Amino acid sequence: MYIDPHIHLVSRTTDDYEAMRKAGIVATIEPAFWLGQPRTEVGSFKDYFSTLVGWERFRASQFGIVHYCTMGLNSKEANNVALAEQVMELLPLFAGKEGVVAIGEIGYDDQTEAEDKFYRLQLELAKDVNLPVLIHTPHRDKKKGTTRSMDVAEEHQVDPGWVIVDHNNEETVKEVLDRGFWAAFTIYPHTKMGSERMVEIVKQYGPERIIVNSAADWGISDPLAVPKTAHLMRKMGIPEEYVRLTTYQNALTVFGLSGQMDENDWLKAPSIDQTKKLGGNSVLRGGQVPRVEGPADQVEN
Amino acid sequence: MASDIEMKRFLWKIFEKNRAEEKSIAWLRLKAEQTKNSSSNSTFFLAFSQASRFFKKDNLELSSEEKDQAKMLVPEFELSHWDLLQTARTYLLLHFQRAKDQWLDAVSQLFETGDLYEQQALYASLPLMPFPEELLSRAIDGCRTNMTLIFDAIALNNPFPGKYFPEANWNQLVLKSIFMQRPLYRIQKLDERRNPALADIASDFAHERWAAGRDVMPELWRLVVPFIKEKFVADLKKVLASNAQLEVEAGLLALYGCESEIAKQLLQGHNEVVMAIEYGEITWEKIGRDFQEKRA
Repeated sequence: MYIDPHIHLVSRTTDDYEAMRKAGIVATIEPAFWLGQPRTEVGSFKDYFSTLVGWERFRASQFGIVHYCTMGLNSKEANNVALAEQVMELLPLFAGKEGVVAIGEIGYDDQTEAEDKFYRLQLELAKDVNLPVLIHTPHRDKKKGTTRSMDVAEEHQVDPGWVIVDHNNEETVKEVLDRGFWAAFTIYPHTKMGSERMVEIVKQYGPERIIVNSAADWGISDPLAVPKTAHLMRKMGIPEEYVRLTTYQNALTVFGLSGQMDENDWLKAPSIDQTKKLGGNSVLRGGQVPRVEGPADQVEN
Repeated sequence: MASDIEMKRFLWKIFEKNRAEEKSIAWLRLKAEQTKNSSSNSTFFLAFSQASRFFKKDNLELSSEEKDQAKMLVPEFELSHWDLLQTARTYLLLHFQRAKDQWLDAVSQLFETGDLYEQQALYASLPLMPFPEELLSRAIDGCRTNMTLIFDAIALNNPFPGKYFPEANWNQLVLKSIFMQRPLYRIQKLDERRNPALADIASDFAHERWAAGRDVMPELWRLVVPFIKEKFVADLKKVLASNAQLEVEAGLLALYGCESEIAKQLLQGHNEVVMAIEYGEITWEKIGRDFQEKRA
């Protein structure tokens, strides 16, 4: 069983969902992000956030995958201040919803003043609603941006044990782990990390507080990055327990702090249609076969 | 409609019986009180969302007296398919009181920002909401969803569509239920609101399925019963020739309901099933249930 704790499923096809399920992914977390181009109306954000807790969750369930999300204003769009202010008013409506496991992805992109302002406001929101924080670290000037993200989180007295710093690389990981934050790694075919580099990092740093994700989205990316990296780890002789921690358990532990994510969500998933017979409510821990919706729930359209 | 107060009392009794935890009951009591007294909508909005932290999606356990009582409070109101969480959300909703425009604005916002289960709770409680005329377009729009859970909340075991939907929208609701293979026997007023247009649409749909080499949902034939004509007789003949027992049963049950000579003739030679129909062993509900079980 795997968890992909960062994947933008609204951009993925049903073929991806099927392949993910077959590869053993049981749960996914979809961080609120931008859509490849900036939005210009607050209503677009409202409908996007609604999709994350509505349609996309349903779509995932059709393939036997439990869908969670994080809510936040991403750093790129924080730069449209007038719009960002309206989004901030919207966020409390969504932050408390079922299956929202963190505030994120938030942080810095160009490291502007506006980004800084809305990052700080959202750190405060996370504390208010008692949710972990998912930090997006910048592509450019990454090392400094990562350090700054952590400095500001600490300044706002957010517990590092509640913060996932995402998109790490060999240059950033040591400081993130040393300061007590969780270090997530995005396996991207062309940029960010490759699976081979990931294996080396787990060899060097061990499995503690390290999380692997795909961040698959509308760009060239791989929704099977987590299971593929797990296979490579095994092949390269990494202990099974390390594989389990970095591709399943660590994500569950830290996002589970939200109180909104529980193994039973996939191990004994309730049937959507109560009239349907899907084999009772037995706990399937022995064989670890998740009980989820079947093809009978798939909507024809 | 009975007063809100009676409905609130009734729902409260159901919580106490359905083993909600003590702390959840206390939370709900507090939030209902705050919802009632607060001038800000956010108190209600937050409680409505956060109810999922206190109540599970366990089905309600109801006695037959309680089911009857529900129907006495609001005609044909059914909550036997409800879960604890949506009941809690409905309870909160009943405590949210505003002048008409403010109420509609706030509830629209809930509908538009609701997650899967919040929307389920809202649509299922339509029959308890004030201002049904103003909510009609919301309910019709809700049927455009492809999320089974939400569609079911409107279409099944809910008196609202049967009571308020104009014929064209009603027909769409029934047709979409067939399309999504939902249990038709759980649509209220299905028999009363059958109409010639719907019977034609249903038959056309069956022909499309046949043309594609697909099965036809057996409950569909219930819709043609009062309007039997040559085309439908030909359809039902085809159904009787099916290898699937359930389809044959549905075809015969449809014919059994028709008051026509041809129908009587077609029933001949199927004595065993006709007897079972006469004894009430084969009903539309039984066929619908069997079909859903087979499908799962």
